Formats: sequence, C-alpha cells, structure tokens
Amino acid sequence: MAVQESAAQLSMTLKVQEYPTLKVPYETLNKRFRAAQKNIDRETSHVTMVVAELEKTLSSCPAVDSVVSLLDGVVEKLSVLKRKAVESIQAEDESAKLCKRRIEHLKEHSSGQPAAASVWKRKRMDRMMVEHLLRCGYYNTAVKLARQSGVETREKALQSGRREPAGRGPPGHGHAGVPAGHAHLPLQGPAGPGPVADADPAVPVRQLPAAPAGEQLRVHPHPAGRPLGHKDTCYKEDGSSRSPDCPVCSRSLNKLAQPLPMAHCANSRLVCKISGDVMNENNPPMMLPNGYVYGYNSLLSIRQDDKVVCPRTKEVFHFSQAEKVYIM
Amino acid sequence: MEQCASVEREVDKVLQKFLTYGQHCEQSLEELLHYVGQLRAELASAALQGTSLSATLSLVMSQCCRKIKDTVQKLASDHKDIHSSVSRVGKAIDRNFDSEICGVVSDAVWDSREKQQQILQMAILEHLYQQGMLSVAEELCQESTLNVDLDFKQPFLELNRILEALHEQDLGPALEWAVSHRQRLLELNSSLEFKLHRLHFIRLLAGGPEKQLEALSYARHFQPFARLHQREIQVMMGSLVYLRLGLEKSPYCHLLDNSHWAEICETFTRDACSLLGLSVESPLSVSFASGCVALPVLMNIKAVIEQRQCTGVWSHKDELPIEIELGMKCWYHSVFACPILRQQTSDSNPPIKLICGHVISRDALNKLINGGKLKCPYCPMEQNPADGKRIIF
Repeated sequence: MAVQESAAQLSMTLKVQEYPTLKVPYETLNKRFRAAQKNIDRETSHVTMVVAELEKTLSSCPAVDSVVSLLDGVVEKLSVLKRKAVESIQAEDESAKLCKRRIEHLKEHSSGQPAAASVWKRKRMDRMMVEHLLRCGYYNTAVKLARQSGVETREKALQSGRREPAGRGPPGHGHAGVPAGHAHLPLQGPAGPGPVADADPAVPVRQLPAAPAGEQLRVHPHPAGRPLGHKDTCYKEDGSSRSPDCPVCSRSLNKLAQPLPMAHCANSRLVCKISGDVMNENNPPMMLPNGYVYGYNSLLSIRQDDKVVCPRTKEVFHFSQAEKVYIM
Repeated sequence: MEQCASVEREVDKVLQKFLTYGQHCEQSLEELLHYVGQLRAELASAALQGTSLSATLSLVMSQCCRKIKDTVQKLASDHKDIHSSVSRVGKAIDRNFDSEICGVVSDAVWDSREKQQQILQMAILEHLYQQGMLSVAEELCQESTLNVDLDFKQPFLELNRILEALHEQDLGPALEWAVSHRQRLLELNSSLEFKLHRLHFIRLLAGGPEKQLEALSYARHFQPFARLHQREIQVMMGSLVYLRLGLEKSPYCHLLDNSHWAEICETFTRDACSLLGLSVESPLSVSFASGCVALPVLMNIKAVIEQRQCTGVWSHKDELPIEIELGMKCWYHSVFACPILRQQTSDSNPPIKLICGHVISRDALNKLINGGKLKCPYCPMEQNPADGKRIIF
C-alpha cells in the first residue's frame, strides 16, 4: 500500500469513521429489545387476566368442569407466552450477536499479520463504497460489489428500501452500516413520506446523526487531495510534470481536487524526476547549467562518455558541469 | 483498540444476560406448565368421578394461581432489568466513537454538487476497472448512465484476463503478453519473462521423472536469460538431479513453494502497470487511504482550535493547517519549502540557487537584499542578487 498507516493511526481513524458501523446494529438491538418487552408484557397481562378470572371462580364454589376449562385457558395463554418469549429473545440475541460480529471485524484491523491488516483495509474501502453506492441509489451495483468483496447484505432490507424510491430523501439522511464478514446490512428507510412496511429495517432515522458514510466517501477524497501534496505541479497546463503514481495527477481526481486546499509542507522533500528516488545526503541534488535539478545517482546512471542529456530539455552538458545544491 | 474493547465488554454482558434470561424463562415456564398440567389431570379425574371441588384442591388451585401470577410478573420485570445493560452498549458506542465528521470539509468548495458527484462516480468506475471488478463496473455504468470509453477499458480487460489465467496457474496468456512486450519490459529491467519460464519449468519438474525430457527441452527457453539470471538457472538445472527422488525431499524443495504464484501475479501487475503508465493502486484507493489518515488529524486540530478559540488559523481555503505524514511512498512530486519563509515555493515564487549553492525562495531573496548586495543566511557569502539562478526540481 502506498500510504503508510501505523496501528495507532488506524485506531484513530476507526474512532472517527466507524460510529455508524456499530450504532446501526445497536439501534436494531434496542428496537428488538423494546419489542420483546412489549410482547412479554402483553402476554403476561393476558395470563394474569385469565388467572384472575380463575381465582374469582374458585372463590365462589364452582363446578369442576368450569374450573377445568378455565385451567385449559390458562395453559393456552401460558404456552403462547412461552412461545412469544422464546421468539423475542431469539431476535434480541441475534441482533446482539450482530453487534458482536461487527466489533470483531473492527478488531481485525490491529491483527499482527500485515496481510490481514491490508485485507481489512481493502474491505474498509469496499464497505464505504457500498454505502456510497446505496446512498446514490445504485442498488444493483452495491449488491454486486458487496457480494464480490465478501460483505453480506440482507436482500430483504435492500428491497424494502427500494419500495419507496420517491421518499428516499436527500443523501444526508439514513444510514447504512456495512460490515464485512457475515454481518448484515440494515438499510435505513428515509424519514420521508411513505410507509416503511417492514419493521425490521426502518430504525427511525431521527435517532441517527446525519453523518452518513456516503459523506465519508466524499469527505475522503477531500482531505486526500490535500495531504497528497496537491500543488501546482499537478495542474501545469501541458501536463508535463504529471506523475503516473500521483493520484491528484490522474484525470478524474484532478478535476475533483482542484478547488481543494493544498497540503501543508513545512519541510522540503525532493524527488528526482529521473528515478523517482528521494534526493538527500545519500543522493545529493545536482543542478545542471539549465537550472534543472536531478539526483546524483541518476545523473551517474544516464552518464555516457562523460556527458549527460537533460531528460526534460534534451540539452547536452558535461557531467562535471553539474553543481551540487544545498537544501536546508 | 481500547474503543472496540470497551464496547465489546458491554455487548458481551448483554449477550450473557440474554442467555441466562432465556434459559430461566424457558425453564420456569416449562415447570409451570407441567405443574398446571398435573393439576388439570387431577381435576379432570375428579370431574369424571362427579365429585365437587374439594377444599384442598381449591387451596392448591389458588396457590397455583398465585404462583403463576408471580412467575410471569417476575419474568416481565427481569426482562426489563436487562434494559440498562442494553443502553450501556449504546453509551459505550457514543463515548468511544465520534458521531460527526463535519466541519472538516466545507461543502462550499464545490460549485455544483451534481457535477462533483459525477466526477466521483467516474473515479469509482475507474477504480473498479483497475481492481478487476468488471461486472460491478458494468453494472454501475448501467445504473448511473455514465460511460467509459473503450480505450480506457481495453488494457484493463486484457490485464484482467491474464491475471485470471495466472490465478488458475495458466501461464500461457502471460507468456504471450510478455513476449509481445519484450522490448519495453527489458527497458524497465523487468525479469517477468524469465520468471514465467522458470515457473513453467518448476511445474514440469513437479510432474515427476516422466516429465524429465519435457523439462529438459523446455530449458532451452532460458538461453536468452543466461547472462542475467545465471545463478537461478544453475539452481534449476541442479534440481534435475533429484527428479527421481522427488523434489519435495530434496534441498530444492523451496522451488515448489506456492508463494511463487502469488509473487508472479504481483510482478506481472507491477510491470504491466508501469508499461501502461498507470499506478499499481488506483488513485481512488490512495486518496481514500490518505483521507483515512488525514481525517482524525484534522478533526483533532479542529477541536484544539475551537478550544483555544483561535478560529482564524484555518481558513478552509488555501492550505491545511497541519502537515499530514503519509510515508515516503507518497512523495510523488518534489516539494521545496523555503527554509526562511517556511512556505512552499511556486511558479510565482520559485526557488533560487545562490552562488554558494544554498537554495532559498525568490521572495526570501528579495527580503534579504541590503544596499544592492545579498548575504547568504547560511554561509555569510556576499553576492549579487542577480547571480542567483532559478532552479527547477
């Protein structure tokens, strides 16, 4: 990877980026907990009601038959309670396990093996892209990308999001937290008009802050244009100083990065135009009489018969004409 | 790390509570049902005998009713108690992760949001092509009605085809490509063609003694590389000795290592991209990665600025307020920062080399002029300002 990210830096980025990744399954957990509580309360009150009726009958010397039938009623209500309780707890447990899986995925960023860390970074980029694509409304693409990079999505959730295309709202609402591995993608329906039929995916958007990850994907190229030494060189008219590796020089990002602020550089970093190597004490910068500067080692490598040809102006000079320059 | 750990602790507690509650709930309801079932059986037999409700049975019944009520109500309140653990998870998340990243970017920077979106989709498309996710890219083209011209796509399609073959351990397409680009590969000092031949040879070796003749005759492909890769060719020829014994048990077993295949894919990708004038990593992924590094730094400094109430420091326009370290591999262009004015040089303020060899920016030079003469700030050599020479990195 071209950009070096130490473990400490990754942790810092995690703190800033991954709030939605965890918050969304938490909201589902919360919702399911409340639903479970409601179910249990409801069935409990049914049972209590039937039992109260039984007690009333008992106090008034009843016939055995009526007691039996009332008891049957109690048994029935108890069974319903048991069934509903088990179902609700299962649903809660499932969403809690989802939270756990996401955390475990996030923890992988700091695994000891470098291969695992770079896989994690690639998945992170794919995650953000899937979110961004969803936010733009490109459902099929998002699903395809998710499948290809190993991010599971809940098809049902995506489809129910599709049921109200009109109410999608501006890309600033709703949030899709997309993890890797076996976790799921609950798509947040918009807070706009139109009923969100399925209870599952529609966690009230109001609860979530409007810092969608799609923003993150847009935000990322922003700060990026900057630290990557975005400077005049990337924007010279004739494209002469383009570097194939520099992202800001690439055609698409070039336009995107143009209005962005420059990177801040307090210290010089010199790179030889011939070899791409750093110019420092080990490879001192040398100036040819035409003012162009190259690394000493590169000049050695292009020297022929004691002469060098400036790669940029094609002028020919004597090797001895190169003067050392001193950069503080 | 600590952030994940603290959220995980809360989640684990919740999971534990669900587990115990679930078991307890099921168990107590089972017992209740069983108990009630027994009572019902007794009552049913009493009904058959035609007797009326005895006092003891009646007492037992009312006890049963009480027990039922108590049990189910306790179940409900026990579940309610879990609520605090659940909300603690949410609080842990809120505490350890930042919910907002705005304020670092000013949206006003772009004039048209749609245009920006379009350019971004284009960048994503190019990224997908470069990563070899062709079907996803096609899908995006369809859904976004954006289109990438064929000349852009073409090299990626070909590269992808060859890479896929390599993944299947099929060296044919790669060899074809390497041969057709032999001249340019040599200019790059690439040893791709040799490595491909070598892998093929090793694979033949792995086939055992029957393949010996075939391997030997294939070895003539090494001839053009004899000068550059003499040692490696010697190693491979030497391994023929162990063909009968089996290469795995010989000192040459490292030749059979699977990592060679991964390495050849990487070598191919790198060389092919250099040939095409592309970077190995797509611009989008490098930008994204640098954004990931930059974001927390910028947010931190924003927090500090707000705390110290010196908002004038960051104007959001010209330059970032702080330097962001991305590692040496990201030094694509030369940057010269004038040591005196601590600013980057530009076309309007270029670096100037003084007679003594020290380099400062033109503005700094002008500032140092004293009575028509100039003293270099590093070695006090007096010189004429006009003798300074503009340099280009």
